[in-house]
Amino acid sequence: MSKILLIEDDEVMSTIVKRILQKAEYQVDHVRNGKEAFEILEHTGYGYDLIITDIMMPYANGFEILSKVRNIPDGRQLPVILLSNAGMDDMIQEGLKLGADDFLKKPVLPAELLMRIRRLLNKEVS
Amino acid sequence: MNFSLLDFLESIFFEFRYAPLIIQVAILFVFVAISLTLVAYFSILRRRFRGFRRDKNVARLNELIDELLIDNVLSQDPESVETPGQTAETAAQAFHLPQFSKRRGRQVLIDRLLNYRNNVRGAMGDEIRTLYLLLELDKDSFKKLKSRKWNRKVRALNELSNMEIGVADVIILPLTNSRNRELRAAARHAYIKLSKNEPFKFFDLATEPLLLWDQVELFRIITTTNHIAIPNFAQWITYSNNKSVISFCLKLVVHYHQLKAIPAVLKLLDTKDHLLRAEAINCLGKMKIADAEDKLAYIYNNQPLNCQIEILKALGRIGSGKHTEFLKQEFQLSTDFELRKHAAKSLTNSEPPGSELITELLETSSAENKLILKHCMNPLIKF
Repeated sequence: MSKILLIEDDEVMSTIVKRILQKAEYQVDHVRNGKEAFEILEHTGYGYDLIITDIMMPYANGFEILSKVRNIPDGRQLPVILLSNAGMDDMIQEGLKLGADDFLKKPVLPAELLMRIRRLLNKEVS
Repeated sequence: MNFSLLDFLESIFFEFRYAPLIIQVAILFVFVAISLTLVAYFSILRRRFRGFRRDKNVARLNELIDELLIDNVLSQDPESVETPGQTAETAAQAFHLPQFSKRRGRQVLIDRLLNYRNNVRGAMGDEIRTLYLLLELDKDSFKKLKSRKWNRKVRALNELSNMEIGVADVIILPLTNSRNRELRAAARHAYIKLSKNEPFKFFDLATEPLLLWDQVELFRIITTTNHIAIPNFAQWITYSNNKSVISFCLKLVVHYHQLKAIPAVLKLLDTKDHLLRAEAINCLGKMKIADAEDKLAYIYNNQPLNCQIEILKALGRIGSGKHTEFLKQEFQLSTDFELRKHAAKSLTNSEPPGSELITELLETSSAENKLILKHCMNPLIKF
């Protein structure tokens, strides 16, 4: 069972994504801001198969988390999906430049979310 | 004990009664001030307590709604192709609870469903909308729309537009011209989202000017709403009596690169209003309409400063090189600094940096003009 870290401050959005992922039999850990994300990543030794992160969040934004994940001491390439609001195209570009693997625009389409996750996880395995 | 308290009060009353008038007034003033402070503190405390209790109730209801939605709507397989509405029907049964029979409970339910709907699309989003309809929450929204209070109307419009529930033109169109700014903006927003055929019909009725902030909001709504029917904005550029509508339409013409509206924009060059004329010139420049170049150069000398600046900018944006001589002349001979600056910028847009004209100007211009030209040649400088 793949392990996914969801970093999202919006309560409803996180409920939806968590439920969709659990239904698809992924193990999901959820944190509400960048600070908690750094803590859990340090604590677990980056023990996740994929990270889904919102861009705009308190304490540390999605880009800061992305930069941190791109500099894991053991050099692993952990796939990261950015969640962004509509009309934030500039931010998506910025995120992709910084090394994000994919992005999803809110409101999310559940089937699309699962498709993108599977694509990245399969790429990781191969 | 009782006797001594009575004695104490009596002595105070005695002191008060025989005190000088100014002292009596001062004591009364202090007494009133202390009483009012206590009342104020008490009412703040009461309000906070009620708010705290309300938040607690809302949190409890939200938890219940989340549970019901997770079990009944979000539990469906996102990739399965079920008959739309099937899940919502089962969910609607689960939501028939006493908590949601009262007005407040139903409002919390509406707010939560809206929140879910704004975060998920596709079949799941449609199920939430169907659930809203099956629970007859739209009736609550329509009731709010009939309210006399503007804030309830705004709330209703937001609910109906987010749930994509159609509202009759006779109800919504008058609101798009309301004197209340918030209500006007919400009604326009809702009208653009809900009117499938003529989302911009309210432009015909707009008598109040579209404030700049309204324009920013409308622009955001128009450009982020999907499946919107984009009309030919020339109709308002030509016939509207509302200058702010014309100005806004010019911005939309540029955004949608609406070439069929260009004849109307060209006609606007003859308007007496110099602000609108400047915006029309700006629109032609941004659309890079090369056919307009000759007319712009022709009318240049009769224009006020803001239009002249826009003409110079437009010639630079079009950048065909047809009027470099004109730009050079303005750069060298104009007495106005802004005109020289924009002429220089447009020259550098029309001519490559190492071209003969630029080299010649760099050698022959005055010290100040050389500085302007070098500044404009910097690709990071944009104006």
